[in-house]
Amino acid sequence: MTERDEIDVLAGEYVLGTLDAEERAAANVRRGRDPVLNAAIEAWEHRLAPLAQTVPSVTPPEKVRLMLEEALVKIPAAQAGASVVALQRRAQGWRRVALAASALAACLLVAIVVGERRRSEPAGSYVAVFQKDDASPAFLLTVDLDKRQLSVQRVAAEPQSAKSYQLWIASKKIGDAPRSLGLIEAKDASTQRTLATYDRATVEEATFGISLEPAGGSPTGRPTGPALHAKLIKTPR
Amino acid sequence: MQAPAAGSPVQSARLALIEPASTTAGTVIVLLQRVAARDREAFSALYAATSAKLYGIIVRIVKRREIADEILQEVYVQIWERAGQFDAAKGSPITWMVAIARNRALDEVRRKKAVSIEDTPEALDVASDEACPLDRVERSQQLLRLSQCLEALDNNRRDVVLLAYREGMSRQALGQRFSRPPATIKSWLRRSLLQLRDCLGQ
Repeated sequence: MTERDEIDVLAGEYVLGTLDAEERAAANVRRGRDPVLNAAIEAWEHRLAPLAQTVPSVTPPEKVRLMLEEALVKIPAAQAGASVVALQRRAQGWRRVALAASALAACLLVAIVVGERRRSEPAGSYVAVFQKDDASPAFLLTVDLDKRQLSVQRVAAEPQSAKSYQLWIASKKIGDAPRSLGLIEAKDASTQRTLATYDRATVEEATFGISLEPAGGSPTGRPTGPALHAKLIKTPR
Repeated sequence: MQAPAAGSPVQSARLALIEPASTTAGTVIVLLQRVAARDREAFSALYAATSAKLYGIIVRIVKRREIADEILQEVYVQIWERAGQFDAAKGSPITWMVAIARNRALDEVRRKKAVSIEDTPEALDVASDEACPLDRVERSQQLLRLSQCLEALDNNRRDVVLLAYREGMSRQALGQRFSRPPATIKSWLRRSLLQLRDCLGQ
């Protein structure tokens, strides 16, 4: 086979769905940096698209539309673009829990997205978006994995009188309980923290949380209020 | 479009066009453009117009309704986020959306142990919307063209293509279906794909 045949067969099997898990994952990565393969995949999507007309439509349950409506509210506005797309995907498992817990979470900041590599950023840079349960991002968190440096930008979060925002990290690798990363000062637009005491793999897989606590921080050393964080940590995705 | 040769062992691989090919391609393009501008009403309209199509495709592949529900939601979140990336010059909006849905569904079934229908008899407990398919047939030039090229393949080689695309069957599952080792299936797929590509002349 020619080189073009090889690429077309790979792309064709990708579109048919017959690549096994590893081949498929490899093709997913490769198409991101190989325009020839990506074009070959799009060509097969186009060639085989008429087959989609032969699959019967099925009306989805109403609950999907309702959950979607809720989910969209939580998606931050467009400015963050593609990186947020990736984040939202990763956040799905999270969001389901968050939706279920939203009544509990009334005054707590819910939401948070587990860090995922931004395509446009240097390798090692991660970002997470913290949303209020009603609108745009409250905080934006970025982590430089190489330097293990964390930065939190306050976006739409309002300072709360007699309350403090507290930042947490949680990972199975450091036990089940979230650990405090300190308070986020309401007067500062940006807060820096070092994560030097955590190894790279731990930071990479960690879930970060922000809770609204009594002024000065949680009196117990754990997030007070709804037990949202603990549940969320265990939501695999 | 006629069904493949009588006696084909794969009844589910019959091709029947059960929906108008491009009900509203132009409308969908406009809706996508408005969705890209974060128009929630346009998004609702887009969902109403296309969700049954995408859900039908997803359910076929993942077999389980509860999983299909989650995937459908994720797919529309992606559509909401990526609407601005859709390029009408490159193809139809439905093709673009179908690709997102199929990719997400295939990622799911390939990542997990394949779901066997025998293991989940409730899996196909899904009523489709095709009340009277023949009434709704509308010829699609592209489907006719593709069908002619598929007809030119040997029966088994055509059926593996259809079962993979429509049912999301893996090489292993296809191997069991046709009592052949996966390597043989891979070789069938390879030849089918190259022959299809050359037949379609694209």
